[in-house]
Formats: sequence, C-alpha cells, structure tokens
Amino acid sequence: MNTFLKLAWRNIWRNKRRTMITISAIVFAVLAAIVMQSMNRGSYEVMIDRMVSFSTGYLQVQDYRYDREASLDNAFHYDDALGETVLSADTRIERVVPRLETFMLAANDVSTRGSVVFGVDPEKEQAFNQIDNYLAEGRFVESNEYTAVMGKGLADRLQLDVGDTLALIGQGRFGMSASGLFEITGLLEHPIHDMNNSAVYLPLGTAQELLSAEEHITGLLISVQQARQTDAVAASLRSTLEDGELVVFTWPELMPELLELMEMDLAVPRLLTLVLYVVIGLGFFGTVLTMTMERLREFGVLLSVGMKRGSLSLVLFIETLIISIMAVASGILLSWVLLKLVDPIALSGEAAQAVIDMGFDPVIPMSFAPDQFFVQGLYVFVIALIVFLFPLVKILRLNILEAARS
Amino acid sequence: MTIVRTEKLCKVYNPDTVPVHALNNVCIEVDEGEFTALRGPSGSGKTTLLNMIGGLDKPTEGKVFIDGHEISSMKDSKRIDFRLQNIGFVFQHYNLIPVFTAAENVAFIMMLQGRDKQEIRKRTDKLLDQVGLGDRKDARPAQLSGGQQQRVAVARALASEPRFILADEPTANLDTEAAMNLLDIMEKMNREQNITFVFSTHDQRVIDRARRVVTMVDGAIDQDEIQDPDKT
Ligand SMILES: Nc1ncnc2c1ncn2[C@@H]1O[C@H](COP(=O)(O)OP(=O)(O)O)[C@@H](O)[C@H]1O
Ligand SMILES: [Mg+2]
Repeated sequence: MNTFLKLAWRNIWRNKRRTMITISAIVFAVLAAIVMQSMNRGSYEVMIDRMVSFSTGYLQVQDYRYDREASLDNAFHYDDALGETVLSADTRIERVVPRLETFMLAANDVSTRGSVVFGVDPEKEQAFNQIDNYLAEGRFVESNEYTAVMGKGLADRLQLDVGDTLALIGQGRFGMSASGLFEITGLLEHPIHDMNNSAVYLPLGTAQELLSAEEHITGLLISVQQARQTDAVAASLRSTLEDGELVVFTWPELMPELLELMEMDLAVPRLLTLVLYVVIGLGFFGTVLTMTMERLREFGVLLSVGMKRGSLSLVLFIETLIISIMAVASGILLSWVLLKLVDPIALSGEAAQAVIDMGFDPVIPMSFAPDQFFVQGLYVFVIALIVFLFPLVKILRLNILEAARS
Repeated sequence: MTIVRTEKLCKVYNPDTVPVHALNNVCIEVDEGEFTALRGPSGSGKTTLLNMIGGLDKPTEGKVFIDGHEISSMKDSKRIDFRLQNIGFVFQHYNLIPVFTAAENVAFIMMLQGRDKQEIRKRTDKLLDQVGLGDRKDARPAQLSGGQQQRVAVARALASEPRFILADEPTANLDTEAAMNLLDIMEKMNREQNITFVFSTHDQRVIDRARRVVTMVDGAIDQDEIQDPDKT
C-alpha cells in the first residue's frame, strides 16, 4: 500500500506543469463556486437570521388551528408550567419566548395606520434577539407598563415620537372590542424592513389585557443552541406535546417563501457552477486521459511482471484522488481566506443608497456555511470518480502485448 | 528436470482478417539450468514463442506447461499471479518503472509477492550487487545507461525467485561492451546459482555464448543444437 502511494505520488509529478495546471483549474472552479454561493447566501442568511429572531423563532409552538386562521381566537393558554415543559423537552432548547400577535389600527390624533401588535415578555425578548440594540430612541417597554415601542417607519408616518401617546384600536379575543392608549417609550430601527413600518411592541400582560386574552399567546418561539439542531428538536418536542392541541413548526416551514426566493436566487450561481465544473471536468479528464495513454506500455510491463489489474487501477485511482484532494483543499482554503478578507462587501455611493431605499443594509455579507465548502469537495470527488472510469476501463481491458508494443 | 514444455503450439494472428501463422506446431522443452538462445530472422516467431511460454498471450492451438501446470488455459488473473511467482521477464526496450529507483524497481516485485520488508531490503541489495550496481541503488532509470537499465531488469526478474527467466532480445539496444557485460552476469548466475535462462537474439556474439541454440524459421523450430560456448 505504501509502495502504491509512493508510485502514485511520483507519477503525479512526472509532468509537473500539467498537474499544476489541472490542479489550478480545479482550484479556480472550487473558488469561483464557493465565492458565488457565499455572496448569494450571505444576504439571505442575514435575512433568515433576522426573520428567525424577530418573526418565527427556530421553532414555534402554536395552537393547531392558528396555522389555518391566524386569529386571536386560536391563541392558546400559556403559563410558566407550559414554558417549563417545553424548555425541558429537549436539552438543546435554549429558551422559550412567548408572543401574542395581532393586527390593529395604530392612530395618532388624526390618522390611522395598520400595524402588527406584539405582546412580548421584555426580558425574554431581549435575551433572544437583543432588541434593545435596535432602539433608535428611548428605551424598550417593561413588564406591566401601559407603554409601547414602535418601528420608526410607522412612528414617522403617524408623526409620533418618544413620550407621545399611541392609540391602538381593534378587536380582541372572541370579538371583544379592544382599544387603549399607550405612552411611547422608544422607537426601533427595526432590522426587518416591513416591521419597521408596522410593528408595535407592548408588554405581554398589557397586550393580553387589551385583547381580552389573559394568559393566552399566539406563538411560543423556541431558540436552539445551533440552527442545525432544529429538526431534531422539533421531533422530540412533537413527541412531548403529542395528543395536545399544540403543534410545532420549524423556521423553514414558517417562511417557505423566503427559502424559495433564496433557492431561485441560487439557481444562477448553481448553473454557472455546473458549467464551470463540466469545463473543468473535461480538463481533468484530458489530463487523466494523457496520463493513462502515455503510460500504456508501462502498464503492459507492470502486468507482465505480475502486478494485478486491481492494484494498477488502485494506483491510478490514488493519483486521481490525490489531485482532487490537493485541488479541493487549496480551493476551500483560498476561498475561505478570500471571503474572510472581503467580508462584508460594503457598498458605497448610489448603489448603497439604492439598496438602503429598498430596505436593506448597504453591505453584502458573505456566508460561511460549512456545507457550501464541503459540497464543492463532494462535487470534485464525484467528478474524479467519473474521470477515473477511463483509466479503470482501460486497465481492465488492456491487452498486455498490445500495450507493450504501443 | 523439465520446467517448460509446449505441445504442438500454434499461433495465428488476425485469424479473421489477414491470418498470420506466427507459430506452427512448436514443441520444445526447457530443462532446469539451461542457458538457451532462441535465434532466427526477424518475424520468425521468437517473440511470439516467448510470449506463449511466459503466459503473456494465449496460443491458438496447443498447450504450454510450466512445471506441469498448464499456463495456456489459466484465467487472466490467475496467470498474472502465476507469472509473478514463477517467471522472470527482461524485455528489449526500457521496461523499468521510471519513477522508481533501481532498488525500488527490484523491491517492487517482492512487495507484490508480499514478502517481509527486511527480507526485501536485504535481497534487493544482494541482487543489485550481483549485477554490479551496488553503488547505483538510488538512481532512477533515466540516470542509468541502457546496459545498466537491463542489469536492473535482470535483478528485478530474479527478485521473485522465479523458475526461469525469459529475455526477449535483451541486448538489442546495447553496445557490444554493455551486451557482453550483461551476458557475463546472466552466465554467472546460470553457472553459480543454476538459474534457467531462455533468451531470444539475432546477435551472433550472444548466440556464441549460449549452451543450447534453438533456431526458428517461419514459426517453426528448424535446428536445436547443443554447443560448447567456451570453444568459440
Ligand atoms: N500482434 C500481432 N498481430 C499480427 N501479427 C503479428 C503480431 N505479432 C507478431 N506478428 C507477426 O507474427 C510473426 C512473428 O512475429 P514475432 O514473433 O514478433 O517474430 P520475431 O520476434 O522473431 O521477430 C511476424 O510475421 C509478425 O509480423
Ligand atoms: Mg521479436
């Protein structure tokens, strides 16, 4: 085995230039593929991260009817005991964050605007998404106050400011009329564009009272230690909550549109990657082809003196593998370094303004999701396997005498 | 003791298109300890016969026995293994692994046989000393002369401790001095270690040194004579 490895390694360097060119080509493909993906995914990851923090949670417990009809009538009873039950259902659950959410009209003295009212537990909310960091002015609400914090966009439209009074008008649970006045303690530069123009935060108890929904919430958000644990935690939580009227959703289930959009946006880099790999694969194939053809004589001699076809194939396979491993490793390393260097790309001038106007940050963050690195390695490995078919077939069919004469 | 025996060996190349009758009913026996030259004009079938005996090709008709084993009917993988254990080869053209040193080329065969590392190293040294390349162990084939390369090839052929060694025109690409030097080495091994050699050649100086000379004409054995090489 050791000898085969040595043989393969030296064979690779018989034509240094050719090998280097082949490796460089693969490195380039891996690099380009990763950088394209990373740029595309980076923006979405930030979006998803914000959506998870401010809208859906990694997981969310709801009444089973709420998904069909997002109404307060389909809120569910929540107390500390239920919070404990959920929290202890799985050790990977970090915290639970209750929210009561409904549409209301937000009004000043003269005009009204549609708004989404969130009744939240201030401490838990802060622990979950550091909402305080997004305060443009004032402070966040505190439990049991009759106060509100609102998105700056909404506040501007209603010409409201910290210290002013916000009126909320709407419908409570089971058609009860709901209206109240709240002092504005702070304005949020809300990281989600839509919510900046619509969100109003009230302390949970205050919201429950306003909406005649005492001890009720519409969703219990759950955060896990690591995003990839989501599905596993969902499974264990589902078995804990079995039989009840509560159901568990994961974030991909709660925002399919965003994920679809991301998939669509990734279609172009994916296609480019495919084209790139086809081209590079052909180059790789060309190298392996010449590496095979120019050595047929040698193969003939090796088989003559007693090397098994399987062993000879193994040597050729190791050669193909070494080339791909070197290429993939350098490609991944290089792209990682490159991404680290440019992350995040800050836009400036008109481009920046255009992006800000659309409601996004004027930066393109890079994604460092590990799978995009590994996946490229996997692609190259698959290409290597396909490319290796040629020498394999050639060796298995090699006629010793014809080879010796070539 | 007979090592090689062929039975009415026939070989027809391209039987379906332009048939070439390369061997016609060749019957030959080679005994242990022989130092035999196969001579004949180009195209007379020397290479074809050696390939049949060495199990590199299958006869169209007839059989080849090595130590009583019919190599001509063995399956490919079994033949490869049989060659590894029983037959040593030296070819006309460069036939060493170019990326391996002289020592590695010799050791490789023993590695394929699965021998013990320690033993491989000792034997490699011994064999390279025997062919006079004790000081060129770490040279790659490209750094060796043609004669030196063929001496490494002989050492490699010997490494597996085969029953006999087949050499197809081993001196064809060598100058006289290198050719005689190679012959000296082969002869010495034959004399001192009773190693059986069968080699093809059309070089008279090489033929003169053989003890048995088999002459081929048109794919058949024309003459088979014993000579005393020391007389010439
Ligand atoms: N692979 C082959 N296909 C067709 N004809 C062949 C092949 N190998 C050898 N021959 C023919 O068989 C005959 C014997 O060839 P060969 O054994 O190489 O002779 P030698 O080694 O004595 O020069 C020649 O006529 C040669 O042209
Ligand atoms: Mg010949």
